[in-house]
Amino acid sequence: MLKIEHLTKTYGRYQALNGLDLTIEDGALFGFVGPNGAGKTTTIKILAGLLMPDEGKVTINGIDALKDYRQLKGMVGYVPDSFGVYDNLKVWEYMEFFAACYGLDGLSARKRCMTLLEQAGLEDRTDSYVDGLSRGMQQRLCLARALIHDPDLVVMDEPSSGLDPRSRAEFKELVLELNEQGKTILISSHMLPELAQMCTDIGIIEQGRMVLKGSMKEIMERVDQSNPLLITVSGNQEQAMAILRSHVCVRTISIKNDCFSVGFTGDAQDEAQLLCLLVDAGVPVTRFYRRQGNLESLFMEITDHEADKEVLIYEGKPGV
Amino acid sequence: MKVNPVYKREITVNSRSIRLPLILMVFNGILALVALLNMYSMTAQVEMTAEIQYGSFLELYAFASGIEFVMILMVVPALTAGSISGERERQTLELLLSTQAGGGEIVAGKLMASMHSVILLLISSFPVMTLSFAYGGIHLEDLLFLFLHFLAVALLAASIGIFFSALCRKTTTATALSYGTITMLVGGTFGINQFIWSMANMGSSGYLIQVGGLGSQVNSGGFLYLLLLNPAVAFYQIIRSQTENQDNIASVIQWFGNRPSNLVLDNWILVSHVLWVAASALLLAAAVKRLSPRGRRWRGK
Repeated sequence: MLKIEHLTKTYGRYQALNGLDLTIEDGALFGFVGPNGAGKTTTIKILAGLLMPDEGKVTINGIDALKDYRQLKGMVGYVPDSFGVYDNLKVWEYMEFFAACYGLDGLSARKRCMTLLEQAGLEDRTDSYVDGLSRGMQQRLCLARALIHDPDLVVMDEPSSGLDPRSRAEFKELVLELNEQGKTILISSHMLPELAQMCTDIGIIEQGRMVLKGSMKEIMERVDQSNPLLITVSGNQEQAMAILRSHVCVRTISIKNDCFSVGFTGDAQDEAQLLCLLVDAGVPVTRFYRRQGNLESLFMEITDHEADKEVLIYEGKPGV
Repeated sequence: MKVNPVYKREITVNSRSIRLPLILMVFNGILALVALLNMYSMTAQVEMTAEIQYGSFLELYAFASGIEFVMILMVVPALTAGSISGERERQTLELLLSTQAGGGEIVAGKLMASMHSVILLLISSFPVMTLSFAYGGIHLEDLLFLFLHFLAVALLAASIGIFFSALCRKTTTATALSYGTITMLVGGTFGINQFIWSMANMGSSGYLIQVGGLGSQVNSGGFLYLLLLNPAVAFYQIIRSQTENQDNIASVIQWFGNRPSNLVLDNWILVSHVLWVAASALLLAAAVKRLSPRGRRWRGK
């Protein structure tokens, strides 16, 4: 659906994008994360037709989007991080205004506006002034506005920033609903736990290039696998150590009190087999688990060091 | 017929705002007050001296027109300097530019909305401007031609305002630059000619005479043509031709030294207006370019 190839953008001496490559499949909900200044907003603005890259190619549904900005804008709906309002403009006028900006008018435009307002839960606020809406309502209205021309791709730049927890939850529901309806969504956010719950795919950008990308499931599995296996025994430590040493998936072993911290490269089946071996050998195992990883810890790990990184791509490829 | 969405929205928003009615009230209030005071002083003079000077009624027209001209120059930049920078400050410009409307449609909508306001100002001032009809000397065609001139002035001022509004991030900067440019057009072009002419008269400006293309006659040379950009000069020419029944060409030639007539001097008002329209087109095109993805400068995060 969306393919970004070697996207480069500089602001004076500052290189915002440094050969960014990214592919998003049709119907994906892609979480776009990275530290401040990594190039997320620049990428989103290029996708929204607000900025022109120095180099690179953006293809949406096989069409070179940068060749015709009008066509690009017709294919992309943009939700910015800040929501500006017009004084003295009612909600339905606001929607109709943006519909007209996409060349939609008349009864069909009005129907489309009403459908989207209903979807955003604003059907009873159509006659309210936009500047009188709460921040959460304004953000939902902004999302409805971004969908007015029925775009193939919706790009959102930190849409939850500044929202209270309830508004954030409502907004999240709305985004998930859209994704279920088949919309491809790229969402940039610093709310990593939220992204981990919502997204089907994730990409981490740093210093203008993608340092990690893949499906959320695969990435979280890899994150979990990189955590040590924690095994607590209440005796027979020598036997346990012998079994662990002989196991093919065990890479490292450290022991603190009764707890073994084991670097284990195997999958869930290998873990089950190891547990059976320990139990069969008469080792009294009291705890056997792997610490769960999360997106935040992964993000911290990836963006923690300044040294050159290897680009990690988890796209169904076995092993690291 | 498809209406420009930006224009339609501006009209909707303006119609709910107190701003435009307030501008109309103050504009016409000042115009009416000045015109009526002027009229009162003239009739009082007639009562005292029992002598009717019909020429003074034409002065009323010239005076009221002058006030209206100055007010248009004051009001239009205020209406337009915030048109695009205001969108930027309200954080609505990105939303607008992410649509298929495009820079051209946005700039055209903003221009149409400001010209709409100017037309409202002109129409609403019509009763005051027609006061001189009571005494004669001015015809409806004169007034309509003057209004046409005001529209051309408003177009130039609006284009300057929109250009700086597209260029600057802040409305205050755009407003200051717009007023500065208009002041330069009105006062600066006059000042340059005055300076060159004074230097030429002093006989110590050999270099400037060369630069200005001054020949054997002592005048401000080619710098005179800078006055084509000066809205006040064209306005003065129009009022002069309407109220003093003099050949307007002669008066320009007489300014800043004598010179032989030529095509430009013979058609000063027409050339001025054509030049303003061309300058407006250039400024608006620059504003459109500034709003295009190539012309924009965003701060990346």
